Amino acid sequence: MGFCGWFGKTLRVNLSTGIITEENIGQKVLSDWIGGRGIGAWVVAGEVPACCDPLGEENKLVFATGPLTGAGVPGAGRFSASAKSPLTGTILDSNAGGRWGIRLKKNGYDMLIIEGTSAGPVYLKIEEGTASLHEAGDLWGADVRETNDKLKDKLGNETSIACIGPAGENLVKFASVMNDGHRALGRGGLGAVMGAKKLKAVAAKGSRKVEVANKEKFDFMIYEAGKWLKANPITSQGLPEFGTPVLVKLFNALGVFPTRNFQGSQYPDALNISGETIAELMTAGRKGCYGCPVQCARLLKTKTGTTLGPEYESIWALGPECGIGDLDTIVEANHLCNQLGLDTVSTGVTIGCTMELEEKGIFNTGLSFGDTTGMLRAIKQIAYREGDGDLLAEGSRRLAERCGAGQYAMQVKGLELTAYDPRGLQGMGLGFATSNRGGCHLRAYMAGPEALGVPKMVDRFSAGGKAGLTITQQNVSAAIDSLIACRFINLAVSEEYFARILSAVTGVDYQTQDLHRIGERIWNLERLFNLREGFDCSHDTLPPRLLEEPIQEGPSSGSVVELKPMLEEYYRFRGWNESGVPSPGKLRELGLEDFKC
Amino acid sequence: MLKDFQTFGRDLFLAGLNSSHSGNLSVRCGDRIVITRRGAMLGHLEERDLIETGLDKNDSNIILASTEIRVHRAIYKGTAALAVVHAHPVHAIALSLLEDEIIPLDSEGAYLLHKIPVLSAEHTIGSQELEEKLPSLLKEYKIVMVRGHGSFATGQLLEEAYQWTSSLENICRIIHITRALKGEVKDKRSSKYKEW
Repeated sequence: MGFCGWFGKTLRVNLSTGIITEENIGQKVLSDWIGGRGIGAWVVAGEVPACCDPLGEENKLVFATGPLTGAGVPGAGRFSASAKSPLTGTILDSNAGGRWGIRLKKNGYDMLIIEGTSAGPVYLKIEEGTASLHEAGDLWGADVRETNDKLKDKLGNETSIACIGPAGENLVKFASVMNDGHRALGRGGLGAVMGAKKLKAVAAKGSRKVEVANKEKFDFMIYEAGKWLKANPITSQGLPEFGTPVLVKLFNALGVFPTRNFQGSQYPDALNISGETIAELMTAGRKGCYGCPVQCARLLKTKTGTTLGPEYESIWALGPECGIGDLDTIVEANHLCNQLGLDTVSTGVTIGCTMELEEKGIFNTGLSFGDTTGMLRAIKQIAYREGDGDLLAEGSRRLAERCGAGQYAMQVKGLELTAYDPRGLQGMGLGFATSNRGGCHLRAYMAGPEALGVPKMVDRFSAGGKAGLTITQQNVSAAIDSLIACRFINLAVSEEYFARILSAVTGVDYQTQDLHRIGERIWNLERLFNLREGFDCSHDTLPPRLLEEPIQEGPSSGSVVELKPMLEEYYRFRGWNESGVPSPGKLRELGLEDFKC
Repeated sequence: MLKDFQTFGRDLFLAGLNSSHSGNLSVRCGDRIVITRRGAMLGHLEERDLIETGLDKNDSNIILASTEIRVHRAIYKGTAALAVVHAHPVHAIALSLLEDEIIPLDSEGAYLLHKIPVLSAEHTIGSQELEEKLPSLLKEYKIVMVRGHGSFATGQLLEEAYQWTSSLENICRIIHITRALKGEVKDKRSSKYKEW
C-alpha cells in the first residue's frame, strides 16, 4: 500500500565502512511506534548490543521524524535523535524544532541511522534523496556558528545543518547536537555520541511533498488547532509575548524555583531575570519553528549584537542554580553553551554542584556561588576539557562521586535535574524519579496539573492520586514525542486532537486511547532497555536532599518529596512487580514479550 | 479523595444532573477502583459511601458497590481514564430519545465536546451490553449518552469528567431552547462537527 504521512524509508549510514543503504520500514512498525521517540526506542532497543560503550563503535545514533513532520501541522516541525546515553547509560532521546527535521524528511526518509565510527572527521550530506560522506578535517575544532556558516557557504542557504561543537568533539558527556544554528538536542550527550563517531555534521536539503490521506479532514483539524491555540492564554499570549521565561516569576512565587544547587527554593531577584524584564529590556524580535503560530523563541539584543535568548530552564541553570542573577551574564553563558555545543541544564547544574563542593570545602576550584566570571570560564574549560573542566565534563554525578560526595549531585540516573523543586510539586518528584532518561521534567510534566492547571489544577503538596496521573502524562508524552509534536501546543490542544490529525495525515485510524497505548508501549520498552543495562528500582529515586531536607522558607516550606508511597502505587499501576519489572502479562499485552532484558 | 467525591457529588446533585439517589462516581487507583456505594446520595457522601474493590477481581466489598460497577470496570480496562462520572442530566436524556448524536449549537459546547454520540441498548442499567459498547466509544469521545438513561464521562480527574457532564447538559438546554423558539438557526458551524 502507499504511504501517507510517512515515506516508509530509512537511510542507514555505516561510518566504519562508508556504506550507505536505503531500507524499507514496514507499515506495522510505523503504525505501532509512529516515529520520533517511539521508533527511535524501537531501533536502539533492538540494535544496540547490551552493555556496549555509548562512545564505542556499537552504539547507534537514530535521527527520526514523525508522520506530521513537514505536513504543515502547527508545532510538528520537530525531529528527535536517540541512542544509548554516554551521560547516564540509559536509553536516550532528545528532540528539537527548527527546520532540519523537515528537510531530512523531505528527502523521502522517516529515519536516519548512523552506525560505526569514522577513521577521521566527516560530514554527511543528504540532498534530494542522495546521501554522501565528505571529509570534515577543516571543520573539526570549529564552533557551531562557524560550522554552520562554512557548510551553508558550500551547500547553500536552503540546507539545514545539525552539528556538534568543540564539546562534542571532546566527548563531554553532556554535549549537545545543535541544528539550524541555535536549536538543541540538548540532553544526555548525543553530541558526544556524534563526536565519538567523528561525525561533525549532517546537512539536509530536500523538497519532496509529504502526502496527506484525508485533505478535507486535515484542513478542518488545522482550522480547529488555530482556534484552540488562539483561545488558550498560554499559547496566544504568555508564550508569544514572553517565551518560556514567562515561567520564572510563576515558579519562583510558588517557592519551587531551586537556587544554589537546590539549597534554596526562591530567588530574591527573580524579577530581574523574568520574562517580563527580558521583554522590556532585551527582546528584539520573535522566532520559532517553521509554520508555528506561537513563535516562542526570543531574539535578544546584547552588547555585541543579537542572540537567541535563553529558555526558562537555561535562565535557571546558568542563573539562580549557580547563585547568579545577572541577566547579561546568563545570556552570554547561554550563547557560549550553544556555540560550544553544551547542554545548558547539565552545564549549569554541574557548575552549581561544583560551587557547593567548594562551599563545603570538598573540592577546591575557586568557583563560588555568584561568581559570574568563574562560571563563564568554567563553561569553556568544560567544552575543551581543560583543568578542572575535564572532571566537570563528566557530569555532576561522576564529579560528586569522585569527590566522595555523591549526595550533592542533583541528578536522577545521572541526568541533571531541571528548574522545578519537587519538594513543592510531589508529582514532579515522582516524574523525575521514574523518568527513563533520568532527571527530566518533560517526560511527565506534572507541573501542568500541579501548577498550571492543565488539564485541571490538583493539590501540589499531596502525594495522593499522583501515580495514576503521572503515568497518564508519561504515556501521552511518549506518544506526542513520537508524532513528533511540540509540548507547548499540547498545552492548548489535547491528545484527542493529535489522534484525529494523525488519522487525517496517515489514513490509519487512531483514537485517543491508541495514543495512550502506544505511549505505554514505548515507556515499557525504554524500561526494558534500562533493566537490561543494569538499572533497577534503586535508581528510581531522588537526591537525598529532596527526600530528607525540608524546604526552609517560602510558600513551600516544610515539604520533602513523599516518594515511597507514590512509587509503590506507581509500580502497581504500571503492572510492574515491586522491584519495578514489567510483568509477563503486561509485556504480552503490549506486544513486548520477545524483548530480552 | 473523599473531598473530591463530596465536591463533585454535591455539585452534580445541585446542578440537577442527578436526582437524590441516582448517578455514581469512581476513580481508578492502579488495579483498584473506588466507587460510590449502591444507593448513595451523591449530594451527601460520607466515608462509608466510598467502596474500594478490584479492577479485575471481586472481593466482599462488591456487594456494596454501585450497580454500574461492571460498566466502570469495562471503561477503565478499555480506556486510559482515571475517573468516571455517570449522571442523569434531564435535558440530555430527553434529547437522546430523539437523536442518534448530539451536535452542539453553541460555540463553548462545540469547542469542548464537538459531538456526543448516543448509544442505544436494550438494557441500560448495569448491563453487559453497555459494558461491551461503551469503552470503544469512550476511546474517541469524552462523554457518551446512553439513550433514555444517562451520560458516562471520563477524565484523568473527577473534575474533568464532571466538566464534560455539566457541558453536555448545557449544550442540550441550549438545543431545547433554540428549538422551542422555532426560528432558523443562522450559525451553521455546528454542521462541521457531524464528521468529528
